[in-house]
Amino acid sequence: MSTDAPKPRDLSERALGMLLLLPAALLLLLIVVYPIATLFWNSLHSVDQANPQAGELFVGIDNYTRAFADDRFWASTLHTVLYIAVTVPGSLLIGLGLALLANRPFRVKWPVRLGLLLPWALPLVFAGLIFRWFFEYKTGVVNDWLVALGMEPPQWLSDPTLAFWAICIAIIWKASSFMALMLLAGLQAIPRSLYEAAEVDGANTWQQFVEITLPMLRPAIFVALIFRTITAVQTFDIPYAMTGGGPGDATETLAMYIHKTTLDFLDFGYGSALAALMFVISMVATSGYLRYTRRSAARSEE
Amino acid sequence: MRVSIRVVAAIVSLGVAMSAAADTTLRIFTGGQQRPDVMRKIADEYQKKNPGVKIEVEVGGATSEAQQQYLSTVLSSKDSVLDVILIDVIRPAQWAAQGWAEPLDAYLGADKQKILSQYLKAYVDADQVNGKLIALPYFADSQFLYYRKDLLEKYKRPVPKTWDEMMDTAKIVMDGEKNSNLQGFTTAGSPIEGTVCTYLVPLWGAGGELTKDGKLNLDAASSREPFQLYGRMKQSGVLPKNIAEIPTDRIRIDMQAGNLIFGMTWSYAWNRLENDPDSKVKGKIGVTMLPHDPGGKSATCIGGWQLAVSAFSKNKAEAVKFARWLSTPEVSKMQAIMASHMPVFPGVFKDPEVLKANPWFADALPVVEGAKARPVSAQYPQVSDVIRSNMNAYLAGTKTTDVALGDMKSRLTPLFK
Repeated sequence: MSTDAPKPRDLSERALGMLLLLPAALLLLLIVVYPIATLFWNSLHSVDQANPQAGELFVGIDNYTRAFADDRFWASTLHTVLYIAVTVPGSLLIGLGLALLANRPFRVKWPVRLGLLLPWALPLVFAGLIFRWFFEYKTGVVNDWLVALGMEPPQWLSDPTLAFWAICIAIIWKASSFMALMLLAGLQAIPRSLYEAAEVDGANTWQQFVEITLPMLRPAIFVALIFRTITAVQTFDIPYAMTGGGPGDATETLAMYIHKTTLDFLDFGYGSALAALMFVISMVATSGYLRYTRRSAARSEE
Repeated sequence: MRVSIRVVAAIVSLGVAMSAAADTTLRIFTGGQQRPDVMRKIADEYQKKNPGVKIEVEVGGATSEAQQQYLSTVLSSKDSVLDVILIDVIRPAQWAAQGWAEPLDAYLGADKQKILSQYLKAYVDADQVNGKLIALPYFADSQFLYYRKDLLEKYKRPVPKTWDEMMDTAKIVMDGEKNSNLQGFTTAGSPIEGTVCTYLVPLWGAGGELTKDGKLNLDAASSREPFQLYGRMKQSGVLPKNIAEIPTDRIRIDMQAGNLIFGMTWSYAWNRLENDPDSKVKGKIGVTMLPHDPGGKSATCIGGWQLAVSAFSKNKAEAVKFARWLSTPEVSKMQAIMASHMPVFPGVFKDPEVLKANPWFADALPVVEGAKARPVSAQYPQVSDVIRSNMNAYLAGTKTTDVALGDMKSRLTPLFK
């Protein structure tokens, strides 16, 4: 790129640029835009595979009004919001702690890094199964400890409140390592010289953390939070493996309800409407973060 | 010398592989709980009889729902990868509505009625939807009461006939054994398909019905009976506290470890309890009819697996031929001996070799013949979801009888309009 004043661009050069972009644009259209468009299209139709003779009728916003009147949609959305409210800050705090720990000058770095990577590399549903065994009533290790401490063992997975917390613990365990990896990358980008200067000025460790680490880490924190929030909106595997949504529907998330509506009940029209609503929730949540980062970026430029 | 034999063997096997590749390959889908190892042995037998046909066994999810979720994806996209598919007895109505199964009537031709009359009648009924034959019976199943013969003898208790007798016996044995790992009675309680039967069996045992003439019938007093029964069992400690977390195979596992006095489960458990190397209860298990209310009659859910031919198979004629062979008395007998799968032909129950492997089959035939079907609906997955999630919530203690029954009524009503 030249530093000269912008020259009027040659038209053939622009056409060539467009041509070169075309394959990528087509690919995006095919694998991103097409499925999302199909989803919205289906959500406006009655696509009930359990009754295929009825055909695919255009029903307007019927599927959406049905969702707003559906107790189970609201209940599963509320559960999802509660999982977000607990697991996003929870995994941020623990992830930050792990990142700070891993950033310490260890002589041999790889065991620490590997330890950080392992929970993240484990498939979600395995994590769910492992924690299901941890919290199992008779043979679970958690109740073993409680009994050893002389406490009455609770039924973790068939009490709605306890099951919620058990699932949150599993999700935080699983998600913290991802947060830690993102934050560790951010920590390593902070120049050492800042800390050396602070030490010369007589700042203690806590002051260094608040005045240097946190502000410098903010972009990494926001990126990590956005990713984590989007995956939290889609929470599925861990509750699916741990409780199957039980007891009753008490731990069912929106993603689980969508899965049930489409793959068990074969009601693709209604399932698409629910998925579109989940898409909206994701967009609202991430746009909140984006607006905040943009505002704070503008403020720091002033 | 050794090398040359190896070379010859390699050339021969290459030739075999090439000729097999040139012929028909059929792919059969079975669930992880339906003994895929036994299916493999049976398929090998078929390959021996039909050189030129190669059978691949694809193994899917451990539960009926997990299998159906996978199959829904494959079949909704009209994928031809599967030829013959093992489906749960509750599925034919849904499969007929979807058009996923190739109707088999034309393949049986004029002999259809004669062929069908050889099977247990319940399966012929289950596999025909609106006069079309959707699948062929593969093996029969129903729930039984498994009990610890040795413990009942030790405490001189008879084999229970009613639920209350069973509870009393369980209590006496538990008090006497003083083993905190020993549980009285379990049945499926987690939110899975089997939990539908957990509700239906005591309902039927009290003379109730879920539907009457196609209409919902939950206003009858008997519809409260299952909740009250399990409530009493939970209170007395006969039902374990974590009953809402128990899936089907857990009953077999607990029984096999010697930690269960009574279990309500399907016929497959017998073979595992008697033959698994780690079983602590070999020779100590009895199997009998499920208990009922004092005034009622023993009832059980009909289970079992059916052979459907995919409507999208590219080898329908060969697939039907294979499915028809799997649905013969010969294969029924093989399954009964290798897996304690109950035969779909009444005659095979009395076969001496079958009886030697499964002595309790002598009394099992009338139980299977009297087994009742879960409600038939093209929307069965919704029906099942309502019943099992409410039963599960009640067992977990998060819903009372009134709330669970009320929720069942309000959510089932639109499905049985």
